[in-house]
Amino acid sequence: MKILKTQSNNLSEIIKETVKILTAGGLVVFPSDTVYGALVDAQNEQAVKKLITFKNRPPGKPISVFVSDFHMIKNLVYFDKNQEKILKEILPGCFTVVLKSKGKVSHLLESEKKTLGLRLINYQPIIDLVKNFGKPITATSANLGGKKPHYSIGSLLKQLPNYKKKLIDLIVDAGKLPRNKPSTVVDISFPEIKVLRRGDFEFLKNQEEYISQSENQTKEIAKKMIKKLDFHRLSKPLTIIIEGELGVGKTIFVKGLAEYFEIENIISPSFVIFYEYLITKGKFFHFDLYNIDDKEEFKYLKIEKLVKKNNLLVFEWGEKSADFFNLIAKKAKVIYIKMSYLTQKKRKIIIKS
Amino acid sequence: MNILAIDTSCDETAIAIVKERKVLVNLIYSQILLHRKWGGVVPSIAKRAHEQRIDFLINEAVKRFKKDFPNKKIDTVAVTQGPGLAVALEVGIKKSKELAKKHQLKLINVNHLEGHIYSPFVQNRHSNPNIEFNFPYLVLIASGGHTELVIFKDHLNYQIIGETIDDAAGEALDKAGKLLGLGYPGGPVIEKLAEKVNNQDFYRFPRPIISSDNLNFSFSGLKTSFFYFLKKLSSEEKVKNLYLLASSFQEAVFDSLIKKTEKAIFQTKINRLLLVGGVANNLYLRKRFRQLAKKINGQVFFPPFKYLNGDNAAMIGVVASFKAKKNLFVDNIENLDRIPRMKLA
Repeated sequence: MKILKTQSNNLSEIIKETVKILTAGGLVVFPSDTVYGALVDAQNEQAVKKLITFKNRPPGKPISVFVSDFHMIKNLVYFDKNQEKILKEILPGCFTVVLKSKGKVSHLLESEKKTLGLRLINYQPIIDLVKNFGKPITATSANLGGKKPHYSIGSLLKQLPNYKKKLIDLIVDAGKLPRNKPSTVVDISFPEIKVLRRGDFEFLKNQEEYISQSENQTKEIAKKMIKKLDFHRLSKPLTIIIEGELGVGKTIFVKGLAEYFEIENIISPSFVIFYEYLITKGKFFHFDLYNIDDKEEFKYLKIEKLVKKNNLLVFEWGEKSADFFNLIAKKAKVIYIKMSYLTQKKRKIIIKS
Repeated sequence: MNILAIDTSCDETAIAIVKERKVLVNLIYSQILLHRKWGGVVPSIAKRAHEQRIDFLINEAVKRFKKDFPNKKIDTVAVTQGPGLAVALEVGIKKSKELAKKHQLKLINVNHLEGHIYSPFVQNRHSNPNIEFNFPYLVLIASGGHTELVIFKDHLNYQIIGETIDDAAGEALDKAGKLLGLGYPGGPVIEKLAEKVNNQDFYRFPRPIISSDNLNFSFSGLKTSFFYFLKKLSSEEKVKNLYLLASSFQEAVFDSLIKKTEKAIFQTKINRLLLVGGVANNLYLRKRFRQLAKKINGQVFFPPFKYLNGDNAAMIGVVASFKAKKNLFVDNIENLDRIPRMKLA
């Protein structure tokens, strides 16, 4: 293990030495805009394995990479025009941006969902280093997994047992780093969501259209509807699916439904996915699938278990998997509500049953 | 009395061992990893994850406890009963019953929100920090799932005086983040963006029920006007003004929190404040609360350690130790069930 101290005039020398060691598959502890980082060649599988051993990092946990410019970003990840705009606005900076990986770095650095975290920062030594190296370099902190990151080499070495020290090939010591906080992660790799197709609802024959001018009217429309259709619960589970953009009033509609059952304390269940309430003979489940973007996650919800006679399941939907809808439609009576903005106050509400 | 506490109320599997206010061992699976596991962070449908981790975590906690305190014994189990995700709560409750029966331990049920209320008073194993209780306190709980104003009258004695009627404050921030194309969770990203433009309130988004007489919160109207405002912008304009949009939105949310807290101070005449929950992580909000405390000649306390802002079992254990002092144990272990919408009693 070699230690180089930075001085005012030896940056290019240090970078030359670091590039040499990274090229040979070595592990370098190097200063950054936040804490001391553990750097290896992101495209060298052996080097990445060494890094993971050094950090005690459980396999499958992603590690982000330093890049030198947008050109390099383009090589590593996929993004569309909108994502590109966001990228250019917030980078370089104190963010780790997450996008779908093109698989150009070691797969050990990617997440389970094949995304990759990128760091383009305002810190000259790192910029120069990545430019000179010409390839992405891992950007993880030099602490062991679960331990605090280090702002000085002294505190790092104190924490490391000898066998860990042996894994380090070079330490670049820039003294005490200013205590900047670790970067904030921005995940803009929108998962692919299968949009519920219009055709899925073709078999729903009755369609009624309402215009609501206020929250109270929206609630009244909901109350009238459930009064008319609640009898279905006697023979089947009843499912109400509400689709509409954020803020259009889906939760308000649910409040109207709940008021019919004299439930007064409905709040958004986004954070916990669903809340349940007792109603005559069964249960009222209020779901918000807002935070669920993954097909796999539907399975763990075990919603099928709740689709039982006498139960009412209300889903605030957004745009979600059609597979899931089909699963429910087989067993339950389905009512589909589409809410849309006409003006800031006015809403169109379509009810299909 | 050494208490092993379990919290599986949402997507964190958390285990702690505490003695009174002192946290002897504290383990949280996923909180730290979650931030780094950027695979589209979701409140991962946690049941399976909890089941996979909980035994490992309990064993690890007990191992550390025995190593550091070889002569001490665990005599009580505490568990979060609600509020939270039903299937997730179930895992912790089932495990707590198992442990209580197998090792003949007493069992204490704790409300997750009580945990947050006690979080400013949690100590490390060296009894730091040592903040004396000086009742009553006015508490603002602000997180992804809750926004509530509570009078903390005495130990285990609370009165809810205001709450959200739709979205939680943290949820509103997360959703705004998503609307801006910043992924989930958006709250921390918005904080960073806002900081860059000095938390300017450029757009003055409406604060719907800020002037209403009650102490309730509402963020759905703000969400709607934000959505509508963004709709009118081209994607270029949206990105160009990203910092100001984030900052103005955050300001509208925080303004509601501050104004309602101020109103509550005025009504209750309580000038000692507690700010707890995930949103209390926001340093700018803390600053606003310090300013508020100064203005009213009062005090404000925050959770002293970062992990206490999120879900954790340490705070659950601390509440349990106060319940134990009052002999509030679960009588019939078999009958203990989760309460997903549990209220503060």
